[in-house]
Amino acid sequence: MDLDLQKQIIDSTQAVFDSMLMIPITTGAILSEKVYTFQTSISGMLGFAGDVQGMLTIHCPQNVAFTITTALLGVDIDTVDDDVKDTIGELANMVLGGIKDGFVEQGIQINLAIPTVLAGRSYRISGMDDASWTTVPFHLNEGDFLVELKLKTNK
Amino acid sequence: MNLLENIVGATKEIFETMIMMEITPGDALSESVTEFKGSISGVIGLAGSCKGMLAIHLPDSVAMSITSNFLGMDVDEVNDDVTDAIGELANMLAGNIKMVLDVAGNKVTLSIPSCIHGEEYTMGCVSDADWVVVPFDTNAGQFLVELQLQCND
Repeated sequence: MDLDLQKQIIDSTQAVFDSMLMIPITTGAILSEKVYTFQTSISGMLGFAGDVQGMLTIHCPQNVAFTITTALLGVDIDTVDDDVKDTIGELANMVLGGIKDGFVEQGIQINLAIPTVLAGRSYRISGMDDASWTTVPFHLNEGDFLVELKLKTNK
Repeated sequence: MNLLENIVGATKEIFETMIMMEITPGDALSESVTEFKGSISGVIGLAGSCKGMLAIHLPDSVAMSITSNFLGMDVDEVNDDVTDAIGELANMLAGNIKMVLDVAGNKVTLSIPSCIHGEEYTMGCVSDADWVVVPFDTNAGQFLVELQLQCND
């Protein structure tokens, strides 16, 4: 099995932003070091399991989350409220949904869990280090957001 | 599917057999807790014919005490040992719950755990799944186990 995780992440994220959000984004270089700590940010996490298991997380600084929420809901947003959290959770759902379709083309089946949204002044996320991880930054006017995919194959 | 009983059963079993710590379950909370300070949350997703999320939320001091018991060594700061232990705890609890669900005719698999540590954060599920939050008392303080679950009929 040869999953090009970087390509899966980019294809799915671009598709969501082009078709659902209509926000232009550019893709950055895949990160060589994990980012663990986040300030004034929102992270949408969604686990998955099946032929492989893992977790997709989208990390957004507050302003980027506001921009995305405004684009999706068509209302001005300036506080981290339920609308923002629901949007980031839904974003994780949509991006992972696209990745799931990409996996199916490679013969890999996965099922999605339900999204959890984390927000805070300062938090650190760590996962079990025996999973492979791929993080791609995406750039829009207000800043960058990260899409991180952690994956573990069954032995 | 009695979520409360399953959570209490799974948590007690793990603490008695793997962590060797006395815990006392409290009544299920009537409102979800979403704001945490100086805390750690271990989360893991469930997917398949049921989908959901299990989380364990602990203040730093309780997490350190549990890790000390689990690993058999003194822990006095929230380091990788603590976050790995809490992630593993979420994994074991979810594993237990998965077994109960599978025996009841479902087919559930687990994602990989993640652990969040922060001075101040909120955490909530974005769905209308059934949920249950159960507090447990230990001699180091209280922790919460939260399960959100939606099963195909």
